[in-house]
Amino acid sequence: MSVLEQLCALDIGTNGEVDEALQRIAEEEEKVNEKLESLLAKQCQIEAKMSGIGRSLALLHTVDSDSNKLNDQIVNTAQLAESVSAKVRRLDLARCRASECQQRVHDLIDLHLCSQGVVKAISEEDYEKSATHIARFLAMDQQLLRRTADDVQGSITSVSDAVKTLEDATEKTRVLIAKRFDEAVKADDLASVERFFKIFPLVGCHRIGIEKFSVYICQKLANKAQKELRNAQDIAKAESRLQLAYADRLTAILENFARVVEVNQPIIEAFYGQASSSLIDMVAILQHECDAEVKNLLMEFNKNRQIQYRSKQVNESTQRSTGGNVGSNSIQALGHYRKPSGGSVDKLNPKEIDAIIAEITVMHARVELYFRFMRRRLQVHVETCVPEKEQADILERYEKIMKNSDLRRQMQEILSTYLLLERYFMEESVLKAIGLDTFESGQQCSSMVDDVFFILRKSIRRALTTQSINGTCAVINNVAACLDGDFVSALKAPLKSGYPSGYIDLAQAYNAIQTTLQQGKLHSSDADRGRANFLVQLNNADVSTEYIETLWQTMEQEIAGTFPQTTPVERQLLDSCLTELKAVRDALKATVDFGMQQLRSSVIKPRLNPWINQFLNYSHNLNEEELAAYEAGETFVQFFIVQLDGLLNSFKNSLSPRNYDALVSILATEVTMQLERAIKKITFNRLGGLVLDQEVRALGSYLTGATSWSVRDKMTRISQIATLLNLDKISELSEYWNPENNKEMSSWHLTPNEVRTFLTLRNDFRIEDIKRLQL
Amino acid sequence: MEDYKFLFKIVLVGNAGVGKTCLVRRFTQGLFPPGQGATIGVDFMIKTVEVEGEKIKLQIWDTAGQERFRSITQSYYRSAHALILVYDISCQPTFDCLPDWLREIQEYANSKVLKILVGNKTDRDDREIPTQIGEEFAKQHDMYFLETSAKEAENVERLFYEIAAELIGQARSKDGSGSAAAAAAQRQSEGSSIGLGSFSAKAAQSNCCGGLASGGGSGSNSSQVG
Repeated sequence: MSVLEQLCALDIGTNGEVDEALQRIAEEEEKVNEKLESLLAKQCQIEAKMSGIGRSLALLHTVDSDSNKLNDQIVNTAQLAESVSAKVRRLDLARCRASECQQRVHDLIDLHLCSQGVVKAISEEDYEKSATHIARFLAMDQQLLRRTADDVQGSITSVSDAVKTLEDATEKTRVLIAKRFDEAVKADDLASVERFFKIFPLVGCHRIGIEKFSVYICQKLANKAQKELRNAQDIAKAESRLQLAYADRLTAILENFARVVEVNQPIIEAFYGQASSSLIDMVAILQHECDAEVKNLLMEFNKNRQIQYRSKQVNESTQRSTGGNVGSNSIQALGHYRKPSGGSVDKLNPKEIDAIIAEITVMHARVELYFRFMRRRLQVHVETCVPEKEQADILERYEKIMKNSDLRRQMQEILSTYLLLERYFMEESVLKAIGLDTFESGQQCSSMVDDVFFILRKSIRRALTTQSINGTCAVINNVAACLDGDFVSALKAPLKSGYPSGYIDLAQAYNAIQTTLQQGKLHSSDADRGRANFLVQLNNADVSTEYIETLWQTMEQEIAGTFPQTTPVERQLLDSCLTELKAVRDALKATVDFGMQQLRSSVIKPRLNPWINQFLNYSHNLNEEELAAYEAGETFVQFFIVQLDGLLNSFKNSLSPRNYDALVSILATEVTMQLERAIKKITFNRLGGLVLDQEVRALGSYLTGATSWSVRDKMTRISQIATLLNLDKISELSEYWNPENNKEMSSWHLTPNEVRTFLTLRNDFRIEDIKRLQL
Repeated sequence: MEDYKFLFKIVLVGNAGVGKTCLVRRFTQGLFPPGQGATIGVDFMIKTVEVEGEKIKLQIWDTAGQERFRSITQSYYRSAHALILVYDISCQPTFDCLPDWLREIQEYANSKVLKILVGNKTDRDDREIPTQIGEEFAKQHDMYFLETSAKEAENVERLFYEIAAELIGQARSKDGSGSAAAAAAQRQSEGSSIGLGSFSAKAAQSNCCGGLASGGGSGSNSSQVG
């Protein structure tokens, strides 16, 4: 701020203020003086620095000239270095050419030696030696050789002559080795065969060698297989494995092929290493032979085990049964199921094919194992011996060979046969188990549940042993179909005809007793049997739902154990098929419910009716004396509970626990419903209401005690009705109605209108009061 | 993904090489992979679609057409909600085999199963079976009819979406009927299918030859679909 501005800013109205302003200006002046002095003091220093700079400027000129000199020197050096390195490059090139030349000289020397040696070796029939010479010759750059030959034309050593000799020798040796190999094969001289097999790659005939050797091995294996097949039955008899004769032969065939690959893999890797496709070439040829041998075996198998004939029988019998169903839908609708045919001559006995089924599963599993073995071998082979970029190609090629092989196709066919027979076996055995169903008194279920589930589990387990996911899935599907069809119908048939009851009305009961008296126990025992059968099937259905769950869980575990490495799709496939079993379980649950409803309509309802009617005979308009008298005598609820107890006891031992609980639950529903209806028919006074409340409580505690399930919620409504009728005064209702006042009470199951209706049953409550209630 | 209201199983059958796998791939992955190898046994795909505002999970079972897989593929018929029977419009033999397939379906599948006849490969010039012949056949055997091209993606989406819509209609009418007897439920579900009308053959057939009990529930239930 300038002094003038300061002056302007100052208020110089009074003397005192002028003084003050003056003083301030004086202070300001002093400060400015101080600043000026200090600036002047620095002048010296600055001048000294300026002169310093002037001096160093002179120095900088020298530095400039020096650095220019240095730059020149560096440029010189660089030029020098460049010329040196060019010389080095030239030297290197010269060295390269020299060594190339040396190589050529070596080649030429070798060529000379080889051409001399090979002729000698061939004449001496030393094939290894001649092949080694040829291998050396083939390793040379043929084009280069030809050029060399041109270069040195006219010299004493005619290179082209040597090349020609060697080329001729190569041709000759190739032919000769092939001939010798063929001779060795003819003479069945294994040592020579192997000897020449190792020579082939030396003369550049990898492919021919592999082919010739593979053909030789195939021939040997074919002979062996034929001999074994002819003696299949004898061998099996000797090993006392007659039932698995063909599975054993198949195993032997596959083992032979696997062994050939195992034994020759190292030889091929050592001698045929350069040609990476050698092993897979061999495998391809072997697979072809394997296909043929297995085909022969399966032909023999089909003939001997009468597969065609049996398949035909199976197809005919299923067509017959479905044909019948299709023709008459009405019968099917009535719960008809195929009866096991008794004495039919051409009907195939499931036991007869049991062993064949087992044999087929073994065969299928062996082939799966064989393919797995080969795949693993090749995996190891490519990882150790094949350049990385070719690995995938070779493995892919194997997958293709495997997928397109006749062996694969034949296994798909045999799996199809297996599934046909397995389904027949399963369905017939299940029908048999249903047909032979027996029930021992004291048991809750009959024999067929255990039998049927045993059969089904056996079938699925057997399917697992085929090692085929598709096969396993199909069998699980068939199991679900079988349960859903024959088994559920068998359970449902007696349930559909209802629970035979002798208590529908008194007249019928009377008649029943009459006929029983007249004809001895015959008629009665018929009805008894019907009743027992009904309950047994109801229990069967209940237990089956548990069995299905167990079956499904154990199979899930066993599948995980059998197929540890599944693709996501396969996993989903299996899961989805297992889910089918769950659907069947739901069908069974529905069957149980259906049976329970039958019991409700034919047992519970008709028998409850007369007992509930008794309730109407007891007056609920009581004075003190009558109450005392009533309580001293047999009350309605005592009578009722005795009757209910009798009814439940007649079922307690013959029903499975879950079914019994369901029965009690149904009974509770029915009792409360009918009692509610009866209550509406009579009127109550204060003491009558008290009695009703006691009765409902007693009933509630009885029913609660009868089952492990909770029936309390079924009793809520009737308890609330009793509470209403047990009120002292209408005004008390508000204490109960508002749940906030009484948290222990569950929410009301009655509508306000219903509350009013029930309150009118109390003859001591006034209609106007009831109408006035705020609900 | 487990958030769906309905789950339907759809099984594709038909001779080898008619393009079942291609239809499924086109629908589930939007691909047309040429040079597809033969299917082994069954293949399995899932696609969740939305129809009428409902999420529906379709389990599509693509079966092998070759004879030797028959006993595997048959086992899947029973639980199918819909069966798609495929033939190749440029290959008479695949059409001639249809009666055999129907016999097999009759034997193993649920009698109420929804059946759709599909003539595939409409992109080909060398057609051997005129559309009308296929339509006629479908009409005779109480099937829906559609011609598709998996290669050109023609009618493929429509095929599956209409099956889904149809199955929803069936499921709803079954829920609605509640305690009604099974026979009635069946009649209803079959009746309701007529209301869809987008499959030409069945729609045409509804009046002239109501072979199965298609008369009964048609009026009352047609409103539930669509």
